Parts: sequence; C-alpha cells; structure tokens
Amino acid sequence: MSFIHRLFNLGRSTRLSRDIDREMAFHIDERVAELKAGGMPEADARREAARQFGNRTAQGEATRDADVITWLDSVLGDLRYATRALRNSPVFTLVAVLSLALGIGANTAIYSLLDAVVLRSLPVPQPDQLVQVTLKDSVGSAGDGDGYFTNPLWEQVRDLQTGMTSVAAFGESNFNIASGGEVQNVRAEMVSGEFFNVFGVRPAVGRLLTPSDDVRDCDATAVLGHGYWERAYGGRTDVAGTRLALEGRPFEIVGVAGPGFDGPWVGREVEVYIPLCGIAMIRGNRRSLDSRSSWWLNVIGRRDAALPVEQVAARLQTIAPAVFGATIPGDWPADMKDSYATRSLGAIPAESGLSGVRDRYSGALAVLMAAVGLLLLIACANVANLLLARATSRQREMAIRLAIGASRRRVVRQLLTESALLALLGAAIGLLAAHWGTQGLVALISSDSSPVSLDLSLNRRVLGFTVVAATLTAFLFGLVPAWRGTRVSPQTAMKADARGVAEGHGRFTIGKALVVAQVALSLTLLVGAGLLIGSLRNLVSVDPGFRSNGVLLATVDFRRSDLPTEQMSQTFRTLLERVRSLPGVGAASTSDMTPISRSSWNNAVYVDGYTPVNFMDGVAWFNEVSDGYFATLGTKILTGRDFNSGDVVGGERVAIVNDAMAQKFFKDASPLGRTFRLKRGDTYTDPYTVVGVVESAKYQSLRETNSATVYLPSSQNDAPGASVTFELRSTGDPLALVSSMKRAIGDVHGAGTVQFTTLDRQLALSLQRERLLAVLSSVFGMLALGLSALGLYGVMAYTVARRRNEIGVRVALGADRGRVMRLVLGDVARVIAIGVVAGSIGAYASGRLVASFLYGLEPVEPFVMLAAAAVLAVVGFAAGIVPALRASRVEAAEALR
Amino acid sequence: MARSRTDILQGTLDLLVLRTLSATGPLHGYAITAHIHRVSAELLRVQEGSLYPALHRMEQAGWLRASWGITENNREARFYELTASGRRQLELERESWSRLTDGVGRVLRYA
Repeated sequence: MSFIHRLFNLGRSTRLSRDIDREMAFHIDERVAELKAGGMPEADARREAARQFGNRTAQGEATRDADVITWLDSVLGDLRYATRALRNSPVFTLVAVLSLALGIGANTAIYSLLDAVVLRSLPVPQPDQLVQVTLKDSVGSAGDGDGYFTNPLWEQVRDLQTGMTSVAAFGESNFNIASGGEVQNVRAEMVSGEFFNVFGVRPAVGRLLTPSDDVRDCDATAVLGHGYWERAYGGRTDVAGTRLALEGRPFEIVGVAGPGFDGPWVGREVEVYIPLCGIAMIRGNRRSLDSRSSWWLNVIGRRDAALPVEQVAARLQTIAPAVFGATIPGDWPADMKDSYATRSLGAIPAESGLSGVRDRYSGALAVLMAAVGLLLLIACANVANLLLARATSRQREMAIRLAIGASRRRVVRQLLTESALLALLGAAIGLLAAHWGTQGLVALISSDSSPVSLDLSLNRRVLGFTVVAATLTAFLFGLVPAWRGTRVSPQTAMKADARGVAEGHGRFTIGKALVVAQVALSLTLLVGAGLLIGSLRNLVSVDPGFRSNGVLLATVDFRRSDLPTEQMSQTFRTLLERVRSLPGVGAASTSDMTPISRSSWNNAVYVDGYTPVNFMDGVAWFNEVSDGYFATLGTKILTGRDFNSGDVVGGERVAIVNDAMAQKFFKDASPLGRTFRLKRGDTYTDPYTVVGVVESAKYQSLRETNSATVYLPSSQNDAPGASVTFELRSTGDPLALVSSMKRAIGDVHGAGTVQFTTLDRQLALSLQRERLLAVLSSVFGMLALGLSALGLYGVMAYTVARRRNEIGVRVALGADRGRVMRLVLGDVARVIAIGVVAGSIGAYASGRLVASFLYGLEPVEPFVMLAAAAVLAVVGFAAGIVPALRASRVEAAEALR
Repeated sequence: MARSRTDILQGTLDLLVLRTLSATGPLHGYAITAHIHRVSAELLRVQEGSLYPALHRMEQAGWLRASWGITENNREARFYELTASGRRQLELERESWSRLTDGVGRVLRYA
C-alpha cells in the first residue's frame, strides 16, 4: 500500500473499516456454510460461527490498527530512533541544527519581509480587480507610466472614466495635530468620494466618506484609520462627532474605517482620511485644487470583472485626448503645452496596492534573498559534510542492520528521518530567530519621519515557505550521505577494524567537493558584500560640499500664527538673531531647503551664450538662503561675497552660484557681475547678478554628480513662505540645542511649531538602503565564512584522522613534521584554490546583481575579488592549521598499531 | 475443560500463513484457516481473532499483497498473495523455525 493510500486510510477510516467488516462477514458466512454442510441447523451454525470468531468489533479494530498502526509505528519508531541517535551525539546535533537554524532563519526573515512588502495582496475584497491608472508620455510609450495626477486631471478621469465600476484618487500628506510647540504629525490621506467603495472598506464606527463629502467647499470631515483609532482613542465608540485639529483647522470625525485596512500604501499606515477638498482648507487656499501642475494624486479603480487590465487600458486611451485637452496648464511654454496634449492614460494591476517602501526596497530585498539562499546552501553543505563523516563512523552499525535483514531502502528512510528531524529543529529555531530578525529589519528601513509599518504576523505563506525550505533542505543535505552511508557490504560488520593502511580516501572525496562548493558560494557572497560595503564607504566619504557633523536643523512654521505676510521676514530675522546669540551656537542661518532632504526646486535658466541641448539641460537647482548659510554649513566661498544686509527687496537682484553652475552655464570659474534670468512659461524674469561663487555641494543625493545650483537671498523675497529651516552649527552636541531653540521660538511668537533633525541624520537617512544592504550582506558574508571554515575544518580533521596510519608510515619512512604539515595544508590550499576559481563565476554574477546599488565601483572589481579570496584563504588556512598540527604530531609507532 | 486443539505458538502464525500462500497461491482468509487446519491434519487451528490483524500487518510489511476478488461460489472476498519480499521472509522464518525446533529437540534429548 502506498504512502498516500495510508494517509488516505488515516483520514477515511470508515472506508477501511467497511472493507474489514466485509472481509470478516465473508469469513463467518463461509464457516456457517461449512457447519451447515456438516448438518447443523442454520441458527445454530450462525451462533457457533460467531462464537468461534469471537468479539467481532474488537477483531475489526485490531485489524484496522494493524493497518494504520504498523505504518505509524514504523514512522514513530524511526523518529524515536532518530531522536535517540541525535541525543547520543549532542555536538554534532548542535552544530547541524544551529547551521540549519541560521540558514532557514535568515531565509524566513528576508522572505517574510519580501512577502509583506512585495508579494502580498491588499487585505480587501477581490484585490485582483484593483487597477492603477497611470500617465503615459504618449499613446505608444513603453513602461507602466507615471502614477501622479493633478486634481484637474483627476476630475476629468473621474467624469469620463470607462472600464471600471468605480475609481478613486488619493494623495498622502502628514498633518500636524499639536496646537503649538514641537510638531506632532499624523499620516493622512486625502481621498476622493469613492475611495472606500473602491477598496471595499466598511466602517467600524459611524460612517465613511462618500462622494457627497468630496465636493468643492466641502465640510471639514475626517475618518480615522482603525489602528490609529485604537492607539490614540483607545477604541472609544463615541469618537464620531468629535473634532480633530489638523494644522490648526478643526475636522469633524464622522467614523472609523474597519479593521485590517491600513490604506492603499503598503508600509505606510494611514491614520486619518479627509476628503480631497480638505487640502484647500488646510492650505487656506481654494485654488490649490485647480493647480494644473501640482502632481500629487494617485488613481486606483476597480475594473469591470469582465474586462482584463489590458482592455481597461485600451478604453482609457480613448478618453485621453479629452482628459488632457481640457487641462492644459496655461502658464507652460507652448512646446510643452503641445506635448502635454498628446499624453495618454494606461492601467496596470494594483492588487498589492502602492508602496514607496516597495519602490525603494524591492531591488534590495531581491539581492538579500539571493544572499540568504546562498547562505542556506552553504549551511546545507556543512550539514551534509557532517552527515557524511557520521555515516562513515556508523558504517558498522549500518552493516549490522543490513546484515540482519533490513532493506537498504529502509535504512535510507531511517537516515532521512534523522535529516528531517534536524531540518525540523533547525526550522523551528530559525522561525523564532526570524521573528526577531524581521522586527530588526523593519527598524533598519524605518525612520522617525516616515515609520514603516508592515504586517509581519506569521501567515500561511511564510510558514509554507519555511516548511518547504526545511523539507528541501533535509533532502538536499540528507540524501547523498544516506545513500553513500548505506553502501556498505554486510561483511564490514564482521571486521574488527574496517580501516586499512590506505583505504577509502581518494584525492577528491565528496566531502572535499562540498567544501569547494562552500568556498565558491562564500566567495560569491563576500564579493557582493565587499562591493556593497565599498560603495557605502565611498558614499560616506564623498565630499558633499558641506560639513554635516554638528549641525542641528529646525524647521520652523508660523503658518498657524496670525502673522501677516509682510511681517514674516522680520519675524524670521528676529528669531535668527536670537538663535545666533544662543550659547553653544557657533553659526546659524535659514534656508528654504536643506541638502539631501526630499525637497527640491528647479527652474529653467537663461544665460547669454549658453544654448541647452534639451529642456533638462537648461535647468538649474535652486535654494533660498540667508546670509551666513555657507559659513554655517561649511561650504567654501570660492570667489565674490556672501549675501549681506544690503541685499534688500527692491535693490539689485543678486545670486550666488556654485562652481558647477559657473563652469556649465558661464564657462567661467569666476562669473562675478554676469547675469542670468529665470524662465517663467514663455517669458523670462528680470536678470539676477552673480555676486559670489561657492564650492559645489550635493543637492538631492550623495550619488549625484555636482549639479548646477543657484542660491537666492531670502532677504530679497517679497512673498516669503510661513516656514523656513534654521541651520545651527553647534560647538558641541547639536541635539543639546533643541530646548533652547524651542524657547527662542516661543519667545518670538507663541504659535510657531518646530520639527528637529540633524544634518548627519538626514544624510544617514538618504543612505538607509545602502546601509541595509551593506550591513546585512556583510553579516551574511561573515556567517558564510564561518560556516565554510567550520566545513573545511571538519573535512580536514576527518581526513587526517582517516590517514593517521598512512601518515605514521610516512613519518616512519623519514618524513619530518614540516613535510607532513605541508601535505595537509597543500590539501587545504587545493580545496580553496578550486573553490575560488569556481566562485569567481558566482562573484561575477553577484557583481551584476548588485550593480545598480554601487557607487564608485564597477560590478567587476579585481581588488574586491582579490580581497575576498584573500580573506577566504586566511580563514581557510586558520581552519586547516589545527588538523595539520595534529597530523604533524602523529608518531611513527602509530603506523604499527 | 482441557483444550483439544493446539493453539498456534506465538510468532509461528506468520510462518504458517506465508508457507500456505507460497504453496497455494492467492487465498482468502477463510481458505487460509481451512488450509492450515486440513494440512496439519486438524492439529492446528488458527484463531480467527488473530488471523486478520496478522494478515493486515503482513500486508503493511510488504510481505503480502491483497485484492478483492470473486470466489468459486461467486462471492466477493479479499485474496492474499505472497510478494517477493514475503518469499524472502518465508525463508528467514523457516530457517529460524528449524533452528528453534532443532535447539528445543536437542534440549529434550540431552538435557
């Protein structure tokens, strides 16, 4: 009976019982027939037959048990035996289980993150019907297109859409709920009326937003996310009807979204939903909904169940001319208007929602998945090696089992049970470790300003992954040793010592082949890790054009004050003077933007004598700064002057440019006195005169090559914003300045809010992904190295033990200790050399895999390759030295024993 | 009341069943008891209660193969037949049996 059939029996025992019943009934009938033939009356015959048969129910059960129990018994027996065998060699078990726990745990951790970020569908009804509407440059343009829409575009799509049963737009933003002082943000989503309908969300309390909430000049209504409601309101059901202040404006809470749904973004849990029109209220500007060049909305719809995504895309294409024709931005230059009108719409599946985390990390996670895969293989090779050695030492046991009649298959099954038990233990410990590990991983990609929240609870898919990984692993490392281990002749059992002088060691055993594979895989991992660490080092040590350490950044916002625009400049000025006099502040300045933040500002510039090859080539990056900005950040002024109190509104418009701007647009290292204009639509602004040139600084990312940058004086802005960032160069710890800065703001105006960070932290944040990759890949690389060293040590120690007699003979014949050591170390060298050569192919592949994450390094870096090989060689020899020493201490006399 | 029939020695049932099937080919349970009864000149009687568990156990061990078939009287019955591994098992059991009887015989003769 097959295995499947037995399982079937376990499940469908009624059927088996019926079979047995029939069989026994037949038996009794036969007996009755026999007794009747002997002349007994029917009734008596029946009684006699039943008496002879005995208790039929008990008999039936015994029979059934024989079927099921025999099988279960043998499995349990195997398990019992395996447990005993493993308990008898605790060191072996410990090393094997920990190796596997490491491999399986690392895989589970990375996989559960991959599952949460990339693979899992949104927890909504029929997620496969969700489609994202995208913008394409033209009808035929390749790719998925861009996700961001303007509100006028969205209104056209909403009114003209086809192929979808419902469609919604949403834009994310953080809003401050604190009434003053330090900013306290909630993650908000501005949503159109159909939003909750599209995602099939039901209210937990009150009602959700509907199309009637999403009209121009709408009421200020809000819906709470379920998680936020539980955290901030303790799940109180009387929350509906209460008010919540967002950026100082009261919104009425009308309900709470149902549990499970955290918003359309994976990794960003939405805390508060408000209607799209709410943005006008918060900005205090009704016209912000009419902006035709502010791209802030994503559009997701639920497609008609009968239409595949491609057909939805085709239908959307037909409405594109009308959608774009009606929304051409009036202030754009003519050529851009033309290309705007010919844009098109597309549709892509949005089953798993949208995710900034996914966009940033899916590539990195794929790299890490590959790394842990290699790690698991290395761990498997280790355990296989241990099992091989163990199989040899158990040869006699196997021989005896075979001699007393066990079939080879039965013994292999027994050995595989041991492997499975090892894998199971490894998986259990690995699962635990993974649980902790994943939390740590999320912390690595999370930050205070944008916390990443992922559902990492153990789900069926992750569990399935672990079980499959463990099962495959058990077969991978168990089958060959089991097969080889049982390839013994029963006579082996009879020999007192199965070892001859030179028996059983080829130049190249399976054990060594496994170690070669480990070395090759380790090299692959190490080279990848080396490239990633090198890139991170390059990025950290690149000169950004400013000194980031010791700089506190404080973004001060007076939007909620009653300050009129005219007084804004003066208020910031007063605050800046106060800040400069604070103890511990070496220098201070204000600016519109800070380097390597997520904000940027660019504009096309016109410089006499420079003809851009395309639109982007004529664009420069901008910032608006106070005097002292360059001194505070430590950016050198190469020539000319800093801004000063003479640069006022109405005076000559001045600007400071960076070196890259001077070289590119002016083709002159010192363009003092020269002018440029900004492009505004089809016209140009009045000229700006260059009064200074500063060293080039990184603007958006440390990876960028220096981009042309223009600094304008904030003192010449006649319509300043309500929010600027203060830079404070501290003479000590920058965070020590936080409280005195808060006090200074309070003194100047009570309604100011502030958000702190440091320039160092901002830089570190921009390298989060690179750091994640470098840290994890080097951890995995180290583990791989450790496992390989263990493997190498194991094989060499084993080989030396097996060759003791041979070495004794050599010593007896006059080989000195050095020679014996060289013999063993030569073996080590050979294994490492072959592994490195084989691994260089893998290393090449790993270089290609991480290519997009590199900075200042090529995918193939001979130096990194050599360094990795050298590290492997050193660790390998260190692992080989103990067995080599042991070999060198073999006495000639041992050959005689 | 003294028993008139010899109970089958623990552990010999397998041997008897295997031997029976090797001599006759496929048989159903009842026929196996009948055969043992007859061939042993009615000295041995298989306990029905232990026969079926034993048959199923041997089937699990892979010594027997079972299938439903039709008897001469046109009734459905479960037929057992010997497998290759069952044949090997028979040789093993036969050997150990003869060793046992040999040993017991010697003890009776000389002890």
